[in-house]
Amino acid sequence: MVDRLVPRGTVHPMAWWGWAFGIAIATTKSPGAVSTGLLIAAVVIVVAVCHGDSPFARAFPAYLALGAMIVLIRVVFHILVGIKGGSGFVVSLPRIPLPDWTGGIELLGPVSVSGVAAAATAGLALAALLLCFGAAIALTDPQRTLRSLPASLHLLGTATVIAMTLAPQLVESWQRVRRAQALRGQRVRRLHAASATTSPVLQDALERSLKIAASMDSRGYARMRAGGSALVPVLTITALVGAALGTYALMDGASPRWLSIPLLAGGAVAAVLGSMMASRRIHATRYRPDPWGLRETLITGSGMAVAALALFGPTGGSQGAAGWSAVFLLCAVVAAAPIPIVVAP
Amino acid sequence: MRDSGPAVPLGAHTTLALVLATGVGILAFTWPLLVGRGSLLDHNASAPVLLGVVLLGVLSVVLIALGEGGIDAKAIAMLGLLASVGAVLRPLSAGSAGIELVFLFIVLGGRVFGAGFGFALGSITLFASALLTGGLGPWLPFQMLAASWIGMGAGLLPRRMRGRLELAVLAGYAAVCGFLYGQAMNLSFWPFTLGPGTALSFYPGAPLGENLQRFAVFSITTSLGWDLMRAGVLAVGVVILGRRTLDALRRTARLAAFSPAPGAGGNRDDGARVRDDTRS
Amino acid sequence: MTAAGIIQLDHVEFRYPNSSHPVLHDVTLAIPEGELCLVIGPTGSGKSTLLQLVNGLAPHFTGGQLTGTVTVDGRDTRLHPPRDLADLVGAVGQDPVAGFVTGRVDDELAYGMEQLGLPDSVMRTRIEEVVDLIGLEAVRHRPLSELSAGEQQRVAIASVLTSHPRILVLDEPTSALDPTGAEEVLAAILRLVHDLGITVLMAEQRLERVIQYADSMVRVGDDGAAHSGSPAAILEGSPLAPPIVELSRLAAWESQPRSIRDARRLAGPLRDRLRESLSLQSAGPTSGADGSVALRTEGLRVRYGAVHALAGVDITLRAGELAAVMGRNGSGKSSLLWALQGSGVRSGGTVLVYDTTLDSGAQVSTRPGRRQAGVDPRTLAPDEAIRRIALVPQNPSDLLYLDSVLAECRAADRAAGAAEGTAATLLDRLAPGLPESRHPRDLSEGERLALVLAVQLAGQPAILLLDEPTRGLDYDAKRRLGEVLKELAAIGTAVLLSSHDVEFVARTADRVLVLARGELLTDGPAQEVLTASPSFAPQVAKILRPLPLLTVDAVRAALVEGK
Repeated sequence: MVDRLVPRGTVHPMAWWGWAFGIAIATTKSPGAVSTGLLIAAVVIVVAVCHGDSPFARAFPAYLALGAMIVLIRVVFHILVGIKGGSGFVVSLPRIPLPDWTGGIELLGPVSVSGVAAAATAGLALAALLLCFGAAIALTDPQRTLRSLPASLHLLGTATVIAMTLAPQLVESWQRVRRAQALRGQRVRRLHAASATTSPVLQDALERSLKIAASMDSRGYARMRAGGSALVPVLTITALVGAALGTYALMDGASPRWLSIPLLAGGAVAAVLGSMMASRRIHATRYRPDPWGLRETLITGSGMAVAALALFGPTGGSQGAAGWSAVFLLCAVVAAAPIPIVVAP
Repeated sequence: MRDSGPAVPLGAHTTLALVLATGVGILAFTWPLLVGRGSLLDHNASAPVLLGVVLLGVLSVVLIALGEGGIDAKAIAMLGLLASVGAVLRPLSAGSAGIELVFLFIVLGGRVFGAGFGFALGSITLFASALLTGGLGPWLPFQMLAASWIGMGAGLLPRRMRGRLELAVLAGYAAVCGFLYGQAMNLSFWPFTLGPGTALSFYPGAPLGENLQRFAVFSITTSLGWDLMRAGVLAVGVVILGRRTLDALRRTARLAAFSPAPGAGGNRDDGARVRDDTRS
Repeated sequence: MTAAGIIQLDHVEFRYPNSSHPVLHDVTLAIPEGELCLVIGPTGSGKSTLLQLVNGLAPHFTGGQLTGTVTVDGRDTRLHPPRDLADLVGAVGQDPVAGFVTGRVDDELAYGMEQLGLPDSVMRTRIEEVVDLIGLEAVRHRPLSELSAGEQQRVAIASVLTSHPRILVLDEPTSALDPTGAEEVLAAILRLVHDLGITVLMAEQRLERVIQYADSMVRVGDDGAAHSGSPAAILEGSPLAPPIVELSRLAAWESQPRSIRDARRLAGPLRDRLRESLSLQSAGPTSGADGSVALRTEGLRVRYGAVHALAGVDITLRAGELAAVMGRNGSGKSSLLWALQGSGVRSGGTVLVYDTTLDSGAQVSTRPGRRQAGVDPRTLAPDEAIRRIALVPQNPSDLLYLDSVLAECRAADRAAGAAEGTAATLLDRLAPGLPESRHPRDLSEGERLALVLAVQLAGQPAILLLDEPTRGLDYDAKRRLGEVLKELAAIGTAVLLSSHDVEFVARTADRVLVLARGELLTDGPAQEVLTASPSFAPQVAKILRPLPLLTVDAVRAALVEGK
């Protein structure tokens, strides 16, 4: 764990998530592999320059690997069970019909370049989507993001903070108990040993959790203001009803398309309002909160701009596997905008 | 030895919230089978991401509702502890994203502390373990909801069982949950993995039987082995560790004496009255 | 009889749930503002409960029934749960590390203020103040797991100070610390009392360090009654007394001194008398240094990665010897004991365990024809090892995993190949009257240590190693432990324990080894080593310097012989 001051130049985590979200939306509209590649390149460069110090930043290459695996899986599945046809035959693998109960599927078959390329392109788009998540995680320290959670989610936030505090202690406790159990001089079988080690570790951990709770209580955890809580249940139920109806409308082909968005949006608004009211009831404040300044607005703005360009920009340029468009070139450039914002003093 | 009072109390509106959330969840998990042609999701293989965002919102709202109900610091500490146990065990589980052993303590915790606790425990465990082991991605809301269902279900099992019967039922429950979890995750991410152009892909709007058959083939060939292994590991885990864990948890539940925090009001039965300074 | 005080208890009776008898019975006391009040009492009495009553944790957190009134600065704790009292009372529990909610020092310092809803600017100011007050500048941005025990205790105190409480409630703040750490913590606490006027209510087992600073004391008895008064009054009739008080009783001084300096002023005549009687005696160590060699290590090295815990240590342990290893926290004491037992890390050097016969007739040797050759304990199988060399780890409850005392004893008998009931008999001698069916987790610290000792001694090993056995024990339990260890040494067991409890070592050990940074600094008879070292000298030695007397019993014996 790097031992350093909390850097004053930390960007608010939500800004990066907003940026990543915008780019993720753009990847779903990408016309082809080259455009996606441009976006991926922009994302990777931003991460390389702006990443934080946490272990998650070091895990970013794992996301790259995961993305590559997705492309590979798509290609493999295409070769195995894909619906063949297209131009540019590469290799003609024999068709292997499967038994009838599978519904008449045939394995393998003639593999074509365009087929493989189409599968790879689709896989690449998904990989780009995943990379946006990975980038957001690498750029923000999830532990600090936890601190930015609204107070209404104190159940999740506090429990997770405790979980992260206790986890290394659990590991150390398990090692200690294992060492101590060996002192008893019993030749224990593996399974018996596992059960024998669990009991002290768990008991210790449970007692510890009670002590943490006592410490939290003594220091004033969950002091609440009086009044005003009748509205929160109503808002939460409204939000959930909106979500349910909206999801149903999303999936139902028969209902008009424009119905789902307002329902979901309405639910979201109710949720946010409910969260705000619940947060206001809780007395707690935050030490050194991450400020939301011009930098954060610009970063999120760049992400939103990319999304807007992708969704509403003129479609043009070539389609297909090698497709790219000028719009997406612009998208990639805008996506890389956070670099000068963050690096500039 | 009576089980303690609910650590996470479930009132009328929290129960309704859980029911609604379950409804949305069922829609979200089975979306390939239900989606109709012409809807927003049909040709978009990144639909799970969109649904994931919706689920994340739903889970947040439910957690807000549960937190509103006045939760003891002890319950939160217990949640944090059991979540950390699950998080520590996750890297030890082999197999698809290493989930097996994580569910073990969710089941046991939900059994001892009740359905509301089990639901919260599922979400928090998956969330914390994703943060600790870096497995964050669009599948996380689905995992959180599935784990929450598993915890909630464990809390809804008949309460009076003890001894070997209890262990047997819990082992069976855990095995079934482990298996279904794999199938459910496959189902929701089926189009994500395969894409539209293969013989095993889903057709939006196609008859249910057809889609189901295709899914069955896909699922059996890709993950049946993992799912069966997960079910087996969970059952064995309950049998080996279950007795001691249940005893330890029950003992702590007895010592902890969960009580309603302000916000839920109510008197205590130990002679000390807490002034209800929130609602009038 | 209740004078006004910032903390007032009025006919308070407290009973835990599922408990038949009250832990505190008809307690009435008042603690004035700005005092350092010490709470003493045997383990298992209501000390911690009393502290929790002030803070509101009892009954709101722990459950249970409270009769009577507890008023803290005018607020009735019945109506105010702990969170409402958080701005008034700061409480640190017995295990400060277990109470840490976050992972870093500055987050932990801010936590209390966050929960109280203070604005960010106020939080920053207060953190700076507290860091200066307690002296945490060096460790401010470090993760909590990297701090020493003394630093962790200070961070825990600092983190409750940030809410500017008027009362501070501390449960055994110095009992787990080495002398230096304890001095730092005490200095910080005193600064709070004297400079800031905070009322400090402190429970403490190791009275010798704190007694000079206490303004008043409260004694809680086994029956649940509590008496408060000046230190002199409370200590007068109390069986738990630090050596300085016992010495003053023995020497019949007119006023009871509480600090070493006061005692030295009064001790002039006593010193003269003792000088005379000592010169008439023949000096001679009474250790079992003539016994056969039980354990020998040469060049012992222990390395964890880049850290050298032990850098070449040579020790010879003889049968019948009671030796103590002392040193600061982190000097390598635990590593030494684990390496000697065989299951710890050993990066170099040799350890050999020899066959010795115990006086009880139990023949330990199992290898015919190899009587003088030593065996490396690392090569022994677990069930053989337990019959030759036993270790009681720092946290004895790590060893216990069964549901009842009886089950543990039976398992121990089986593991050691001993006759059924050996461990149970041993346990009865160590902690008489322990019900067999009790869950080991429900036992007190002393009882748990007794159980683990019985379990480890079931194989009647010739060598016994103990890692910090005195942690959490009260005077009574320590006394009994000392007696048991002496008995074991008398029948021929070689005992090596590590401790930083100077008084216990002075009373029990014949030989003291001092480790610092992995090297053996001193190794000699207890009398010489303890009187020579300023930080490890017991109270009696400090008062009667330069006479080589360590304990009140030794003084008594010297006086008797002198007549």
